[in-house]
Amino acid sequence: MNKSDYIRLTSQVLAWGFCALLLSLCGCTNVTVDHYSTAALERNDSDAVVVLGRRYASNYDTEIDLISCVGESLAEGAADITVIPESEFVDRLYPWFEPRTAPLHVTGLHKLIDQAPIAKIMDEYKIRHIIWIDGNTETTHSSGSIGCSIGVGGAGCFGFGSWDRESNYEATIWDYRDRSLIAKVSTEAAGTSYMPAVIVPVPLIARVQNNACKGMADQLDTFFLSASAE
Amino acid sequence: MLMIKVPNIARIAFAALLYCLLSGCANTLLVEGDFPDPLIEPIPISVGVHFSDDFESFQYTEESNDRDKWIIVLGDIQQQLFEIIFQGMFSSLHSIDSSPPWESTRERDFLKDIDIVLIPQVNEFQYTLPSETKINVYEVWIQYNIKAYTATGDLLADWILTAYGKTPDGFMQSSEGALNQAIVVALRDAGANLALNFKQVPELRAWLAGREPAIVKKGTFDSEPSDPNATN
Repeated sequence: MNKSDYIRLTSQVLAWGFCALLLSLCGCTNVTVDHYSTAALERNDSDAVVVLGRRYASNYDTEIDLISCVGESLAEGAADITVIPESEFVDRLYPWFEPRTAPLHVTGLHKLIDQAPIAKIMDEYKIRHIIWIDGNTETTHSSGSIGCSIGVGGAGCFGFGSWDRESNYEATIWDYRDRSLIAKVSTEAAGTSYMPAVIVPVPLIARVQNNACKGMADQLDTFFLSASAE
Repeated sequence: MLMIKVPNIARIAFAALLYCLLSGCANTLLVEGDFPDPLIEPIPISVGVHFSDDFESFQYTEESNDRDKWIIVLGDIQQQLFEIIFQGMFSSLHSIDSSPPWESTRERDFLKDIDIVLIPQVNEFQYTLPSETKINVYEVWIQYNIKAYTATGDLLADWILTAYGKTPDGFMQSSEGALNQAIVVALRDAGANLALNFKQVPELRAWLAGREPAIVKKGTFDSEPSDPNATN
């Protein structure tokens, strides 16, 4: 092995080692899922579910993409649940499920179910369960800095940045037919993203919200699956 | 001496860019969105609606030197919302060209089959950006004043309608997009408030009760909010 081969091999080893280091840092997210039930969940195969976001808090909004993610994950789950898209449901029942007008408690369903046009659409969709999700994902801490410069010879960045994100969501399952609270599922997720920059910034994103979504959807799916098996 | 001929359009573009850089361009937002038909029992009355020029062409221009320059155009979309809501709320809706007093014979003839005329106005529009509040949401408040007149031009009711909307600050989402979404949410809120609380305005409640008792007492739609003290 001559000197140039040795240098090439060493640089390749270093490059692969750097990549392995980056991958080992990437996407570390801790997810904690917890749930409790207050009543047995009952469902038929034809029953549908709608997943809705709570948006009445003053300092945050439950993200639309989180609701879509949970709905889609639930629809693809083993329990084979029919999930009605949030926007379609809310539009057809406008103005009864807006942030200001949506029932905050399960007892509020009484007023809705007594009204023929609303009951008709609910029956048309075959809605049996309403899942309300409340919470959000936020950046709790960030540190580091990255500087970029441009010149005649080219451009580049150098530095290191990191930020922590936390998700905190609670899903509440209502039985529309029995007008009762069935269960609550809470999900907490936390993760740190990194962005090292040596000429080119390399974002190593921890998918905190996405992992919280998957954790919650898996738990809900298991919950509905156990009801189907009974 | 070597002279390079620069096309006129390039000069204009460069001048515009330089002007923007030196003066600070205003962000112009033409609000866009769609609204669903309200799922409510129509009140069996014939209603006229008059949208003033100020209402139809309403735009908010940020005057504060401490904030970014925004011009928010929402005349068209708010008119679209009110038309959809009013059409769902009443059994019959007519567009009226003028505000009271209606003195001409043509106006009186047109209004003879109309029970009340509604005229909305924008009282106030406010917004906040995440950079101002340190929370990751764009917020919008709109305050409307709605006046209801009898067909003879007498003021029947005059009430305030408030609307609030917010949307989270999304990754890779533009300020224009987020603010547009917050305004659409606020307008939906205005529509919900109007549709569900119209019969709760005391003067209108009394007028509806006196005119046709069955309208209020029989109402299948109850707009009172759910009991906040109830348990889950």
